[in-house]
Amino acid sequence: MNDSGERNSSVVKIENGRMGRVAYARIAPNEDLVQGVEKICLAEGFSNAFVRGGLGSLVDAGLGTSDGSFLRVSGPAVEIVSIAGEVRSDADGTPIASLAGIVADTQGRIHGGPFIAGQNPVCVTFEVTLEEWLPDTQ
Amino acid sequence: MLTHAQFNYPRARMLRHPGPFNPVRIQSMRHQSGRHIRLLLAPGLSLYEAVVSALYEANVTSASMTILGGQFRHLQYCVAPPDEQKKTVIAYSPPISAGAAHMIFGNATLGRDIAGAPLVHCHASICDGHGEVRGGHILPGESFIAERPISVLVTALEGFELRQSFDEETSIPMLKPAAETSHE
Repeated sequence: MNDSGERNSSVVKIENGRMGRVAYARIAPNEDLVQGVEKICLAEGFSNAFVRGGLGSLVDAGLGTSDGSFLRVSGPAVEIVSIAGEVRSDADGTPIASLAGIVADTQGRIHGGPFIAGQNPVCVTFEVTLEEWLPDTQ
Repeated sequence: MLTHAQFNYPRARMLRHPGPFNPVRIQSMRHQSGRHIRLLLAPGLSLYEAVVSALYEANVTSASMTILGGQFRHLQYCVAPPDEQKKTVIAYSPPISAGAAHMIFGNATLGRDIAGAPLVHCHASICDGHGEVRGGHILPGESFIAERPISVLVTALEGFELRQSFDEETSIPMLKPAAETSHE
């Protein structure tokens, strides 16, 4: 099951669609990365979107682990060096971002995993480009 | 309905920056579509020259890029530990030489600096000359592409541009979206 509550038994395996609008945003310090991306979708009116690129820094990173806990990578600053993800809206239209990536700590050592909502405060800035996804069924 | 939740995780930290708090926390602009380009970074050039020369020729001055990985003849990067002078919360470290390195995956942004010149901001994971996987802020003018071109997926931004400006809150210049201006 992913963060938007879709189960394998009911998930549509192929979703045809096309790319729509493009938004670029800068998320300010101390805002949460995951919720920041969700708020960009609210601001720009995107129901579904793909992350097209992003880079910036975090105060500390919170990366999910397979046992249900998360790894705290201490900064500042923890640099986000790779990120991929998408945003899907739930039945109420609330955007939910699922983001994963690679971060570098203050020594340049790298760590990776899913970014846990509420545990990834932006340090100085996070730049992100979102491309709206328009499923044919909607 | 009441549920009991575990509360055994550390609170997310925030940092106090030197300047006045800006109540606008998300600065965002959009356009009806993006223009996609497959760019090949030319061997021998610096990452900066390879990105800027090709994209300016295609009339692209603002873009978001995914660098799909490739070999660099020489690569330099830095990290961002706390500022010892305490003027800002972090400061870039001196350049770290990764030697002949493989960029595993990178993200980069093209915009204009405060003076209006092209600016490339790039973060990437790399495998350095010693085989160690590292990551950080790549120095685009000091990192040179090896013999084989490197593929980049470019989302060219139209309808607005990315411009560096001094950010009062953090006291650090940074890229933000802005209305297009003529630079003729």
